[in-house]
Amino acid sequence: MGRWSALIPIVVLISTATPGLRGAESVWSGLVIAENIAQPKPIPPELTRIEGSLKKFFGYNQFQVIGQSQKTLKTGQEDWLATSKFFGLHVDARGENDLGYVLNLKLYKEKELLLETDAKLSKRSPLVIKGPQVGSGQLLLVLIVE
Amino acid sequence: MKTFEEKWTAWLDGQLSGRELAEFEASLPDKAAAEAEKTEATKLRKLLKSEIGVQTLNNAEFFSHQLRERIARESGGASRVSGVRRMESSTRWTVPRLLWTSAASIAVFLACTVLVMRDKSGSEESQYLTQILNARVDPVVSPNATVSIFEVKQDRVTVLWTEGLQTLPADYAAK
Repeated sequence: MGRWSALIPIVVLISTATPGLRGAESVWSGLVIAENIAQPKPIPPELTRIEGSLKKFFGYNQFQVIGQSQKTLKTGQEDWLATSKFFGLHVDARGENDLGYVLNLKLYKEKELLLETDAKLSKRSPLVIKGPQVGSGQLLLVLIVE
Repeated sequence: MKTFEEKWTAWLDGQLSGRELAEFEASLPDKAAAEAEKTEATKLRKLLKSEIGVQTLNNAEFFSHQLRERIARESGGASRVSGVRRMESSTRWTVPRLLWTSAASIAVFLACTVLVMRDKSGSEESQYLTQILNARVDPVVSPNATVSIFEVKQDRVTVLWTEGLQTLPADYAAK
């Protein structure tokens, strides 16, 4: 027993240090309108993690989620849709590996395909897609593995 | 009081003189035989000196050092501390040298580790970033649209940047 108990910390250490999969994970997908407003609202909690990058890179001070979806991936082959009144983001997961998911993304304006892309979404690296300009703001598509 | 043998040796070496010499020679039973023996001994001494001589040591310092070491070991009476000091001084790997060598080895090891880890973290960094495999914009709807890819190191954010997409009215920002 004493000899085996000595192995427990080693096993724990190895399991925590391995950057592989640790069960089902969820992907947050959001349609975000970025604008410059005199009195900006606080950033939604889903975007807090990348707030600095969003403000610095896109130059807007307010980010509002107009559509979102939270999908738990079990097989890595799921697909889902994040929609707002006029836009739809269709995400089709086409497999996963230790580092993340292979996704096919399609942005629709109503039924019109505006943009399509394939990406390897890393579990440690969010994806932001700059969409069309909407009024004085900018549509952004954000995908984050949580 | 010298014995006869001592006086005999001294007489052969020519070290007796005066009264002592006279008394010794008077005590000899056969002075002629003794003189003949003395002459032979003198010849032998001269021969040995001329033929053998004194052997010179080429590494006298090392020899004497070894000799002192051996004496010190065999005497065993010396204190342990002084013995240790002698051992230290006799070897090239002294304690301070060992310490310095160890410290230098650790420093070299750490430097190499830092360099390797830096390279590895750089490659891992890009490995863990989201990658855009391809991107397409509808050429009919947005004929002048272009796409670019950026990586924001700050939060490890990958950005697909589009330009020239059709601008839409503010109504499209509705939830």
